[in-house]
Amino acid sequence: MAFWDMILDLLQGLAVSVEIFVFTLLIALPLGFVIALGRMSKNPLVSGLFRIYVSIVRGTPLMLQIMFVYFAPYVLFGMSLALYPRLLATVLAFSLNYAAYFAEIYRGGILSIERGQHEAAAALGLTKGQTFFRIVLPQVVKRVIPAVGNEVITLVKDTSLAFTIAVTEMFTIAKQLSSANTTMTPLIAAGVFYYVFNYLVARTMEGAEKKLGYYD
Amino acid sequence: MAETLLKIDNLKKSFGKLEVLKGLSTEIRKGEVVVMIGPSGSGKSTFLRCMNLLEQPTDGSIVFDNIDIVSADEKTRNSVRSEMGMVFQHFNLFPHLTILDNITLAPRLVRHMPKAEAEKKAHELLKRVGLDDKALAYPQQLSGGQKQRVAIVRSLAMEPKVMLFDEPTSALDPEMVGEVLDVMKDLAHNGMTMVVVTHEMRFARDVATRVLFLEGGSIIAEGTPAEIFDQPHEGRLGEFLGKVRGDDRAEASVEKVILKAAQDGKVTVAELEEILNSIRK
Repeated sequence: MAFWDMILDLLQGLAVSVEIFVFTLLIALPLGFVIALGRMSKNPLVSGLFRIYVSIVRGTPLMLQIMFVYFAPYVLFGMSLALYPRLLATVLAFSLNYAAYFAEIYRGGILSIERGQHEAAAALGLTKGQTFFRIVLPQVVKRVIPAVGNEVITLVKDTSLAFTIAVTEMFTIAKQLSSANTTMTPLIAAGVFYYVFNYLVARTMEGAEKKLGYYD
Repeated sequence: MAETLLKIDNLKKSFGKLEVLKGLSTEIRKGEVVVMIGPSGSGKSTFLRCMNLLEQPTDGSIVFDNIDIVSADEKTRNSVRSEMGMVFQHFNLFPHLTILDNITLAPRLVRHMPKAEAEKKAHELLKRVGLDDKALAYPQQLSGGQKQRVAIVRSLAMEPKVMLFDEPTSALDPEMVGEVLDVMKDLAHNGMTMVVVTHEMRFARDVATRVLFLEGGSIIAEGTPAEIFDQPHEGRLGEFLGKVRGDDRAEASVEKVILKAAQDGKVTVAELEEILNSIRK
């Protein structure tokens, strides 16, 4: 098999990996915010439910969660898997998983804002909503960027777990090529692609951090 | 007599089982500068923080603009708070906003003032405290004294009916205390109604129209600065003032030695010991 054919196959896989990555972020970043707010709810029932959710997601392997999300409709309700794209299941599982981690990061960020900021805003007559969106949130965004960046980089590598339900992303293809041709080359090439992908992500995060560093 | 701005009646506040305020009553009249003194833990900061409901009183009433604000709903509370300025020990400027935005934020959000008008006013106020050149800086770039002057301006921009100061100079380096007190004096002379919690006895003596002495969650003594500071007192107040004066004396003798050392280029061990002894006394 020609070297460039292999690269071409891997690049097609990479496109799927990028797809998983982008859609997961689009869903998980805002969803994490909702979960963080739920987790901090004053209603003990609401906060309890979200606490259990976060606990389960963090306490079980992502690989298992991917399988669960894919097979649950069939096992629980007898739904046919033919109409259920694997990629959709993958993105769903990743989103639910990463949202829980993002939620904990956001929650930590929100709680780290000093009480004095809330008090100063209240003393000026700002409502709770105004205080949250104008005073708390901008400071939280800045504080959580490094931790969120860490998760985003992990996500790039985690996309490879989609092989569990045979999604044709880069790692799945690399593995197939590797065993079909009894060579390590596709795996090494995939590793290089992951590294370059993450290098770009890391540079982007650094850029964001720098841009948000305007006030210190 | 000037009109009453705040009428506080039998105010109580407990944190769990700990009763911090044990039924305080007083009236704040327009144009008054009321200074609250007392040992730490006496409840003076809590009392001040109850006035704009940063702490929810456990019992009692606070009447402001003919409304009992203790039981008021959220909307009324916000509007009441916007009529009262508050200056904190740790400034609490918003670090992500420029000085100008720190000042204009509340007038624009709460009073719906147009941006240009809010900024014009902010510049005027900043000029008054000598900080207009810092309008586009961020709080991080300012000294403690500058931050506190900006915090005062931020409150003033809302044109409050009364200004509450919670130990405004306690977190400052000694050389910056003066610049903040000067701004406060200027406010007092221009007729601003002020309630001040402070350990600056000289400020209390020079600027206050009325001094409240708190101890153990009650107002133990109340009077003009002359009545409080120039007459001998028995009991807790006497003890407290004695301590404060002792500190003043110790400070004065340290100052003397340092001055002498500066002049001679040296201080003897015996002299230092003498000073240390006098501080210990």
